[in-house]
Amino acid sequence: MRSFLCAVIAAALIAVCSAGAASPAMGPDQPDVDRLLQHLDDLYRSKSSVARIQIDVTSTRSTRSMRLRAWTRGEEEVLVLIEAPPREAGTATLRVGNNLWNYLPKIARTIRVPPAAMLGSWMGTDFSNDDLVKESSRRKDFVARVDRRSDTPPGWWLVLDVKSGVVGRWARIEVLVSDERLPVEERHYDRKGRLARTMHFDDVKVLGGRRLPAHIALVPADAAGQRTEMRYLDVQFDVPLSDDTFSLSRLERTRR
Amino acid sequence: MNWTSSTMRMAWRNLWRNPRRTMLALSAIGLSVMLVLAYTSILRAYGEWIVETITGPMLGHVQAHAPQWRKDRLMDRTLRGVDAQLVELRRDPDVASATARVYAPALAARGEEGFAVIVMGIDSRAESGPARLLTDVAEPLREREAFIGRQLAELMNVRAGDEVAVVGQGVDGSLANDLFTVKAIVTTSVDLINRQGILIQLSTAQTLFAMPDEAHEIVIHARHPEMASTLSRRLASATVFAGAEVLDWQTLAPEMVTLVRITDLAGLLVLMLVFIAAAAGVANTMVMATFERTREFGMLLALGTHPARLMRLVVAESIALGVVGAVMGSLLGIALVVITHRTGIDYSWLAGGGPSELSFAGLRFSLRFYPTLRVVDVARAIAAVVVTSLLAATWPALRASRLQPVRALRGV
Amino acid sequence: MGTAGTYALRSLRRNARRTALSIVGIGIGCALALFMESLNRGRDELFARMGAYGGAGHVRVVPKGWRERRDPRLRLANSSADVNAVRQLGGVAAVTLRARAQGLVAMGAHVVPVEIVGVDPDTEPGTNRFARTVSQGRYLHSSERNAVVIGQAIADRLVAGLDDDILVTAVGRNGDIESLLLRIVGIVRTGSDEIDATICQVALPDVERLTGLTGAGEVTLILEDWERADVVKAALTQAIGGADEVVTWGEISPEFKGHLEQDNAVSRLVSVIILLIVVLGVASAQLAAVLERRREFAVLSALGMRSRMIIAILLQEALAIGMASAALGLLLGLPFVWTLATHGIDLSQYMGASYSFQGVLIEPVIYGDVGVWTAWYVLVVAIVVTVIASLYPAWFASRTNPADALRVS
Repeated sequence: MRSFLCAVIAAALIAVCSAGAASPAMGPDQPDVDRLLQHLDDLYRSKSSVARIQIDVTSTRSTRSMRLRAWTRGEEEVLVLIEAPPREAGTATLRVGNNLWNYLPKIARTIRVPPAAMLGSWMGTDFSNDDLVKESSRRKDFVARVDRRSDTPPGWWLVLDVKSGVVGRWARIEVLVSDERLPVEERHYDRKGRLARTMHFDDVKVLGGRRLPAHIALVPADAAGQRTEMRYLDVQFDVPLSDDTFSLSRLERTRR
Repeated sequence: MNWTSSTMRMAWRNLWRNPRRTMLALSAIGLSVMLVLAYTSILRAYGEWIVETITGPMLGHVQAHAPQWRKDRLMDRTLRGVDAQLVELRRDPDVASATARVYAPALAARGEEGFAVIVMGIDSRAESGPARLLTDVAEPLREREAFIGRQLAELMNVRAGDEVAVVGQGVDGSLANDLFTVKAIVTTSVDLINRQGILIQLSTAQTLFAMPDEAHEIVIHARHPEMASTLSRRLASATVFAGAEVLDWQTLAPEMVTLVRITDLAGLLVLMLVFIAAAAGVANTMVMATFERTREFGMLLALGTHPARLMRLVVAESIALGVVGAVMGSLLGIALVVITHRTGIDYSWLAGGGPSELSFAGLRFSLRFYPTLRVVDVARAIAAVVVTSLLAATWPALRASRLQPVRALRGV
Repeated sequence: MGTAGTYALRSLRRNARRTALSIVGIGIGCALALFMESLNRGRDELFARMGAYGGAGHVRVVPKGWRERRDPRLRLANSSADVNAVRQLGGVAAVTLRARAQGLVAMGAHVVPVEIVGVDPDTEPGTNRFARTVSQGRYLHSSERNAVVIGQAIADRLVAGLDDDILVTAVGRNGDIESLLLRIVGIVRTGSDEIDATICQVALPDVERLTGLTGAGEVTLILEDWERADVVKAALTQAIGGADEVVTWGEISPEFKGHLEQDNAVSRLVSVIILLIVVLGVASAQLAAVLERRREFAVLSALGMRSRMIIAILLQEALAIGMASAALGLLLGLPFVWTLATHGIDLSQYMGASYSFQGVLIEPVIYGDVGVWTAWYVLVVAIVVTVIASLYPAWFASRTNPADALRVS
C-alpha cells in the first residue's frame, strides 16, 4: 500500500539516536571509516520527529507526486498523513509495533492491514520492505574500506562488503561520501554481485538543525525509466509529541 | 462370383419366410447398433462438455493480455484501447463473444479487519449464462454493487446488503478506495473467486483503478470451439491486437489439456470395446442363425441349387440382415439422441444421487450434458455391422455350400 | 441332478457346435466386460493419484480451525502424538510433516510473494511428485538447513538461478517479520507456470525460525489402498482424540474427488451399455436356437413334460453355458487384464509435444486393477447375462403348442 509505504519510509529514515551538529569537513586524507559509517547511520535518526516530505514516483506510464506529513517516535510508532494530491488528501496511516492501520477519508473508514499484506510489494515505488521495516545498520553489518578518491564531486568512495552470517539483500554497497561527510551516491549490489539499484543524494541544506541531503532518488538498475524520489520539505528532530499522537482515534481525527 | 438381382431377391424372400427368426436377428442387430450409437453420443457429449466446462466460465477459448502480465501480474501491465478492441472482436464472424476483465489485488473490510482479496472488474451481463462465470445471477451489477465469493463471504462474515470497503492501488500507483454494497454472495466455478474474489462492474473498476479504456484481460469465446487455436493465431497477427499476447486455452492451461486428452483416450478405448462387443453379438447371431438352418439348406441343395449359389445366398441374406438391422438401429439411435439432446441428461442419479455439481482443479462442473451424434458416427456403425455380417457369414456359408444334402436333410 | 439337469447337459452335448458358439460369444463378452472394469478402476486410481501425489495425500491431520480458515500459521496441537498414532495404523505407504508460512522471496530489487512450505526432506519425496522431479540441481538433503527449492516461475521473476542466495521473509506469530538467507539448491519445472509459482520448499526447522511457530502444521499420509481413506480417517480421528482433526483428500481437494465420482457415473453407464449389448447378442442367439428346437420341445410336451420342466431345462442349460463362458472369459481376459495391471497403458505418446512437462503433474499411465474380484466379476456377469438372456426364450419355449409345432414341417 502506498500510504503504508510512506509510513515505513519515514520510519526507516527517521528513528532512534541523536546526531551531532554539523560535522567537520574531510580533506584529502583518508577518513576514519568506522566513524564515518557511524555518522552515516545516524544521519537521519532521532528519538522523535515531525517532517513534511514530497515523494515523486516516475514510471514509463506516468509521474505522480505526493506530499505528506510524518510523525515518528522511536522505531515503533509512525503516523503518516497525505496532504497532496487533493484526491488522496486526508488519507492517514498509523503504525504501532506490528500493527498497521489505514484511514480513508473518502469512505470514512479505518482498516487494519493484515500481516501478510504488510510484506506486499511497494507497488508504485521502488523501496522494498527491507529498506523500511528492518533497521539495518551499515556499521554493524558491513566491513568497510576506502576504495578510491573522487574528484568531482570531491569525496571518497567506500566499499562495504556484507559480513558473513548477516541476513540482508545486499552483498556489497558502494558509497560516495563527500568531503562534507554526506552521502552523494550509493550503489547496491545483490547477492550475485549485480548492480540492483542506485541512490542519489543532493540538495544539501539545513533541516531540523542538521545539514543533510534533502533530496534522495532511488533508481532501479533493470527497470528503464523508473525512479522514486523523496524530498524533505522541512523536518524537526527530537520534538516532544503528545501521547495520543499514535492512536487510532487520532488517526481518524487527523486534519491537515 | 456372379451376383444377380435374383440372388438378392431370393435372399430377401428367404429372410421373410421365417419372419420370427428374422425379426429376432434384426432386433438384436438393431438394438446393438442403437447402443453403440448411444455410447458414441455420450462419448462425444462428454468430450465436448469437458471442454465447454473448462473453457466456458473463466478461461474462454482465446485470451489476450499485455505481455508479461501473466508472469508478474503487475497492475500497470494493461491492454489499452480496450473498447475499440471489443467492438472489432464482436464484429468478427468467428467470435461468439468477447469481454474484458480487470484484476486488482486489494484489501477488503466490513468492519475494521482487512482481508486480502482480488477485485475483479467484469461485464456482469456478458459473463452471465449457463456455461459462464455467473450462472445463478439474475440482474447485472450496478455501479456501487459487488458480488462476493462464498468462502470469502463466510470468512469476512458478510451478508447480502452489507457494505464493504475496498482499498487498492491504481495503475498509476494512486490510492484506490471505495465502498460497495454486497448485492449477492456467489458460487462460481472458479475456486479462486469463491475464496478470494470480489466482483464489481468493469467500468467501475476502470474508474476506481485509474485505468480508463484499459483492462488486464480480454476473454474470447469462439463460435466453433474446436477452432480455438486457429482463431487465436489469426487474432494474434491482427492489427487490433498489435503488441498484445494472444493465446488459446490449450496454451494457457496445459494441465487441462492433459485432462481432456486422457478422458478422450480412455473413451476411445472403451468405444473400441463397445464395437467389439457389438460385432461379437452380431457375428454370434448370424452364425447361430445360419447353423440352425441346416435342414433348409439341405433341402435347397437336394433340389439342385448350386453350392456356390447357396453360398452367395447365405452371404446376401447376411448382408441384407445386417444392413436392415443397422439402419433400423441407427434410426432408433438417432431418435434417442435427438430426444436427449434437447433436454440433456442429468446423470447425478447415476453418480449416486450426489451433488448436482462437481468440481475439478478449481472449476465446478454441472452434471447435465447433451448427447451428440455426427454423420460419421452413424456411417461407421453401419459399416462395422455390414463388415461383421459379411465376415460372420463366411464360415456358415462355406459350410452350407459343402453340405451333403442327404445328411443335411436329416438335420445333421 | 434331476431329469432337467441331465437332459440339459445331454442336449448341450448333442448340439456341440451350437453350445460352443454360445460359450464363445458369451465368453468374449465377459472378457470385454472384465477388461472394461479393470480399465475403469485403473482410471479411478489415476485420478486419485493425480490428487494425492500433487502433495494433498490421501489423508491429512490438520489443526482445529483449518477446515474453515486455511490459515498457514495454524499449527498442530501435538504433532508427535499424531505421528505416533499414524505409525500404529496399518496400510500407510508414506507419511510426511509440513509447516507453511506466508512470505516473500527477494533477490536484489526483485520481490515475489510465495507460500513457503517447510518439509521433511526424507519423507517429502515419498508423498510429492514435485519433490522427485527437480529439473535443475537437486532436492533438499536430510537435515539440511538454509537451503530452498523453488519453482522455475519464481526463479525467473527473481532473475536467480542455482546456488544463488535469496532473501526469504515471512510473517510469523503476532505479525512479526523475520528473514533468512537461503541458497537455491534445486529448481522445479512442472510445465505449468501456475504450479511452478507455488513451489518454495525449505526444511521445517527453517520455517520454525522464520515464523517463531514451532512444530508442524499438517501430517500428510499416502495410503496403500486409496479407497480406504474414510476408514483410515475414522480410525485416526479416534486415535488422536480431539486435539487435532483429520481430513481426507476428498475434503482437501474436492475437485479431484468430484471428478472421480463423475467418471464413475459415466463408466457405470458404459458398463451397462456393454453388458446390454452382450445380453442382446446372447438372447437373440438363444431365441433363434429355441425356435429351431420347437419340434423337440413339442415332442417333449406331447410326451407329458410340464412347461415348468422345460423352463428348468433351458435355465439349466443356460447355467451350464454360463459357467463355461465364465471360464472362457477368464481365460481370454486374464492375460489382457494382467498386462494392463503390470504394464499399464501409457498414454504419453498421445499427449502431444508438450507432454514432456506434463509428466510431472501426472504420469498418464493407466494401470488396470486385478485381484480376487476378477474371478467373481466374470462369474457373476456370465451367469447373470446368460440367465437373463435365456429367460424369454425359455418362457417362449414353454408356451409352444405341441400340435402346432409338430405339424409344421
